[in-house]
Amino acid sequence: MNIKATLILTTAAMLATSCLDENPRSQLTEDQAFDSSTALYQNTVATLYNYIGGNSDSQGLQGTYRGVYDFNTFTTDEAIIPTRGGDWYDGGFWQDLYRHTWRNYDEALYATWLYLYKAVGQCNLSLDRLDRYGKTMLTEHELAVSKAEVRALRAMFYYYLMDLFGRIPLHLTTEMKQVEQPERSVTYRFIVSELQECAPLLYNKMSQHEGYYYGKFTQGAAYFLLAKLALNAEVYADDCWTDNVRPEGKDIFFTVDGQQLNAWQATQAYCRKVEDLGYRLEADYAANFCITNETSAENIFTIPMDKTLYTNIFKNLFRSRHYSHGSAVGTLSENGSCATVAAVRTYGYGTPDEDARFRLNCYADTVSVDGRVVIMQGGAPLVYMPLEVRLDLTGSPYEKTAGARMYKYEIDRTAYADGQLQSNDIVLFRYADVLLMRAEAKVRNGEDGTDDLNAVRRRVGMAERQATLATILDERLMELMWEGWRRQDLIRYGLFHKAYDQRPQLDGEDDAHTTVFPIPQRAISLNGTLKQNPGYETE
Amino acid sequence: MKTLSSTKAVVAAMLLTTLTTAGAKAQGQADELRRDTLTVPPQSPLSGSADKVTRDRMNKGLVNNPIEALSGQAAGVSVTSTNANPMAMLNSVRVRGTTSITGGNDPLVIIDGVSSDLATLSSIFPGDIESFTILKNAAETAKYGSRGASGVIEVTTVKGHGGQFRISYNANVALQSVYKNVEMLGADAYRSLAQRLGRAWNDGGSSTDFTDAVTRTGYVQNHHLAFSGGNASSNYRASVGYLDNRSVVKTNAYKNFIAKVDLMQKAFDDRMTIDMGVFGSSQKNKDLFDVQNVFYSAAAMNPTFSYGRDASGSWSKNPNASQISPPDALLHMKNDTKMLNFNTHLQVGMALTRDLGMRLFGSYTYISQENGQFCPTWVWAQGQAIRHEAKSENWLANCTFDYAHRWGIHHLKATLMGEYQKETHSAFWTQVKGMPSNSFGYDNLGSGAIRPYGGTGSDYSAPALASVMGSVSYTLMDRYTLAATSRADGSSMVGDDHTWGFFPSVSAEWDAKAETFLRDVRWLSHLSLRTGYGRAGNLGAVSPYASMALMEQNGVVPMFGSPTTTMAYMRNYNPDLKWETRSTTNVGVNLGVLDNRLMLTAEYYYAKTTDMLYLYDVPVPPFTFDKLLANIGSMSNRGLEIGLSAAPIRKKDMELNINLNVAWQKNRLESLEGNYRGYTLTDPGAVPIGQLNGAGFHGGNNNIVYQIEGQSLGVFYLPHCTGLEKQADGTYRYAIEDLNGDGTGDADDRYIAGQATPKMTLGSNISFRYKNIDVSLQMNGAFGHKIYNGTSLTYMNMSAFPDYNVMKEAPRQNISDQTVTDYWLEKGDYLNFDYLTVGWNVPVKSRLISALRLSCSVNNIATITSYSGLTPMINSHVVGSTLGIDDKRSYPVYRSYSVAASIQF
Repeated sequence: MNIKATLILTTAAMLATSCLDENPRSQLTEDQAFDSSTALYQNTVATLYNYIGGNSDSQGLQGTYRGVYDFNTFTTDEAIIPTRGGDWYDGGFWQDLYRHTWRNYDEALYATWLYLYKAVGQCNLSLDRLDRYGKTMLTEHELAVSKAEVRALRAMFYYYLMDLFGRIPLHLTTEMKQVEQPERSVTYRFIVSELQECAPLLYNKMSQHEGYYYGKFTQGAAYFLLAKLALNAEVYADDCWTDNVRPEGKDIFFTVDGQQLNAWQATQAYCRKVEDLGYRLEADYAANFCITNETSAENIFTIPMDKTLYTNIFKNLFRSRHYSHGSAVGTLSENGSCATVAAVRTYGYGTPDEDARFRLNCYADTVSVDGRVVIMQGGAPLVYMPLEVRLDLTGSPYEKTAGARMYKYEIDRTAYADGQLQSNDIVLFRYADVLLMRAEAKVRNGEDGTDDLNAVRRRVGMAERQATLATILDERLMELMWEGWRRQDLIRYGLFHKAYDQRPQLDGEDDAHTTVFPIPQRAISLNGTLKQNPGYETE
Repeated sequence: MKTLSSTKAVVAAMLLTTLTTAGAKAQGQADELRRDTLTVPPQSPLSGSADKVTRDRMNKGLVNNPIEALSGQAAGVSVTSTNANPMAMLNSVRVRGTTSITGGNDPLVIIDGVSSDLATLSSIFPGDIESFTILKNAAETAKYGSRGASGVIEVTTVKGHGGQFRISYNANVALQSVYKNVEMLGADAYRSLAQRLGRAWNDGGSSTDFTDAVTRTGYVQNHHLAFSGGNASSNYRASVGYLDNRSVVKTNAYKNFIAKVDLMQKAFDDRMTIDMGVFGSSQKNKDLFDVQNVFYSAAAMNPTFSYGRDASGSWSKNPNASQISPPDALLHMKNDTKMLNFNTHLQVGMALTRDLGMRLFGSYTYISQENGQFCPTWVWAQGQAIRHEAKSENWLANCTFDYAHRWGIHHLKATLMGEYQKETHSAFWTQVKGMPSNSFGYDNLGSGAIRPYGGTGSDYSAPALASVMGSVSYTLMDRYTLAATSRADGSSMVGDDHTWGFFPSVSAEWDAKAETFLRDVRWLSHLSLRTGYGRAGNLGAVSPYASMALMEQNGVVPMFGSPTTTMAYMRNYNPDLKWETRSTTNVGVNLGVLDNRLMLTAEYYYAKTTDMLYLYDVPVPPFTFDKLLANIGSMSNRGLEIGLSAAPIRKKDMELNINLNVAWQKNRLESLEGNYRGYTLTDPGAVPIGQLNGAGFHGGNNNIVYQIEGQSLGVFYLPHCTGLEKQADGTYRYAIEDLNGDGTGDADDRYIAGQATPKMTLGSNISFRYKNIDVSLQMNGAFGHKIYNGTSLTYMNMSAFPDYNVMKEAPRQNISDQTVTDYWLEKGDYLNFDYLTVGWNVPVKSRLISALRLSCSVNNIATITSYSGLTPMINSHVVGSTLGIDDKRSYPVYRSYSVAASIQF
């Protein structure tokens, strides 16, 4: 090529390059997104609340399918999604959950992992940007307050990760560096100390009410979580959970307000802090789950729901009730989940002593809507059969009707999205749980927890009971059914890996390795340094 | 091209003597027909490997758009068509298969020099097309640079030409009727089976064949009118066309109106040539809202229900069958698209000296797409209506200098070109729910009660591309040609440090027949050899701004008392994005014997894609999101393409021509591993890309097709079924082999069971002429691939009965299982008889009519296959969620019967 051509080429190239710059109009650069203190708060702190609820599979802490809630619920003696003929087989996914035969390559497990770490990653990013932009826009105190809210949320996401997966990568920066995977107790201690440090900086307001603090992670949520962390200390502080030996809660210490307390005392201290913030039991159990449950003084941390404003969905009701039941209330439904036989027996279903909360939490027997019996396809009345539940109902005469179905939340007849987009806020943390935690901590510490237990029982008109570990566990099921706590409770009681309901113990499950899920195989494939949890294969 | 004679006698003689007059039955204009008679044989042996499909090689059956005209006619070009949704083929054209894993696999379409795409091509009237030229090798596509990385289809449309004023009119009319559908239990069999099994069921009291009820007799009519005239220094051609296609599925219909004008003017003693063309089309599509749901519902619906509404105005529905809806209600959903296309170009060519020419070319394209969707409350709680509008503009300008000089035995050609292309894309959409009435459709969005967050939006992007190219070609003694091209492409979309990519290519060609030692070999009429190597860049996988750190809204949350939209990063961004590079080596031979009555072209190629753009799986943490668009891995494609044409009979009154093209292709995903900013990205293992849908098929255990390193793109990775295992209750289950030795056979035990893309594809045409009558038969085939028959897995599962209807065969086999295994993985090999056309060139002796042709065709005559499903012609080419999976969405198989007339005045 001659010189002339080269010159032309070079000139043309230079000219053209300047025409090849990009000027996006429908996205923002960081400088645009963080150009005021309000925008900074909005896009570093408020933005994180998009990861509490969700609207697609495995996203959000509750309300969607195949995520945190399902792994905590359908793996237990509380609830089950049986195979019903052509419905709910789904490649054996739900059967695997119930039987504890989940596998490390499970897509939903990996999706749940990705969801929680995405939330953690966004928190890390927010902290980094708060430091970078906040120095000039915010006072030192404002910056500390904003960072505390982010750190507390990050601690909460880590709490769910640690609870599900045991020994997890603890990644606290935006740096692209090899992640560390400390022992569970290290992560546990980190979560506790983060929440302890941040709690005083959080708003001491109730966030379940609509208004200025709506949906926020406030002091009540932080102290609630600290109580949970202390109550489960024996589990979380145990780095070798397959040897059937646990540290004793009495020997695990927390510093609360300068005092050295053991796990059970610390649980009580944090429960007291929640109580002091003004939370109390609602007189009416159902008030916590009605369409307008923003007024509840009992709910501590909720996922704000509004069918016209927000996008979080709640599929838990939708997937439980029978198709004809759904039609009767004007929504669709998927006829899936139901209470286990063990759960309805705990309520005393079919006995004269049936717990009042059974009918508040479950639909059973003949179903009526607006005073009319619901009629199924073919003309027969809809009768839910709580005791007919089997893992695979295919071919059973009760294939479509076995099992007591989820009630709990008032049905929003005007819900959108086939009945999944409703206005009842989803309850994540609730004060009744605080009372039951305190009762249990007292019993475990050799004290009497009967008052707290009976406060909960009295509210629903049930006879008083002596607080023992056994009565408390039953009470937790009856009070907290469908709220996603059962797996943690069974693990704390050492029952999760044992036979229960119709589930036999797996071969080799005696070592309790199923009390944590396997680290998803894909996470390990992509990061060779990650170590699988004991008892699970590494491919 | 030989000179054109306008005397009627000569033309008539040509019509009689030339096979190619059989051309273009449906849309062929007598006008162009006549020109075809004077064209040299189609596969001009000297045209290199660029495969030119002229009118005579285009499909002659019922052809509704230009892509159909091309199907099966060129080796290495695959078009998924025949039974599929007529518009689905837009996304299904591949030249030499998939070369980029993530995107940018659609070939570039150039219409009369104007950069275009398959959607625009589909809106052209088939009869307006003069030829397709398929460019596959890097040396050939080099002039289009990165835009041509996945092959180029150059389309030349019919222009005016010197000669007298002409009018031509073409029309065809076709009826389409279904001849094969899924065989489900009829109402009586359904009743007796339900009674025998003693399951709860409902008798709707009717007897409906829903799969039949959603179909109708399809009807197609096409009309085309063209005028042309002028002289050698100034001429024009104008045409208008109208296509109307009512498909065999109710409500599904397409219309297209087209107008096109081309002008040519020479000036300054013919030293300047001005070409200008304007093309516009208006297309209206009525598509099915959810194709799979319509066919799934029609098949699985309780056949004792009635099809239409009952006295109360609603459809019978079994609420237990939650995954399906009354088919008639589903057909009340709307999904309508209106596409407007305006396309213009101007080229000024000037001869600066005897050897040097300059061309200035500019084009402008405007495309508007308006989509309206409506879901009535009958099938969608509270109803939903959506409007979506997308507009795009495309400016392209280039300046080219052509130099050609010949001295003695030397011939030198050189080209220098600079080009700039700018696009703007804008879109706006809105979605409302809570419809107070089903009468509004999507025409009154204001009636919707709510506009959910995320349902309304707009966006804008403006990518730009600049190129400079220089090429030199030297030919010695008209026998040896050596050519080299060097090209620089600059894009706005890559990282700032990687704006420019440099892509050279070289090629050589040897006309061996011209050698003295072959000149006297009389049986050998042509022999040439060619080879080439070249690199091309591809950015099809990259969207504008992907290399920038940008924040987008991630949702709406309550903030200080009011719902607030917040911003966040929504993906891992990659500032190092750069050009994906594909290097191709090719070697080919063209052979003609016995006066080219037997011609063979063969070409072998090897292409390797490096710096492959892909959404790589990255570890979370430390990454926030699990995918990263990056240039890391590599992929290879190799193949052999053979074209064979024979004219065993070539007499005055009789001719027989046989054309055959065969392409073998092997694709391999070489690597997905590498480094990103010092971070090692490892092989993610088997990554699922396609799964089954429907009742009981949710979640990851139903994955069928995967991407696996070291394999072809899209392989079946399935548990192995060792047979049917009888259960205690008399039903059967799929017994699964314990491949991983963990003691149980389950979804964990997978092996690679075959590939989804064909190893070999075939297209063949046999045409025969006797005097004025000609007959043409087209066959297409694909071999060596497999199909997952998810339709049968679903409809053979007795555990879904009676809520979901089952196939006629199901009670006998009595399988009560829907576990995904290789039991329903079948061979996909097929040979399809695409069409048979009989034409008659009527010898008219009239002052008014100068030529007349009548013909009739049957399209989609029959398929030879061992595949047990409805049709093996599913998506076996395009990598995506439907690749290789027959899952309750195949259109019923139909034949078209058409008659056509073509008149020239």
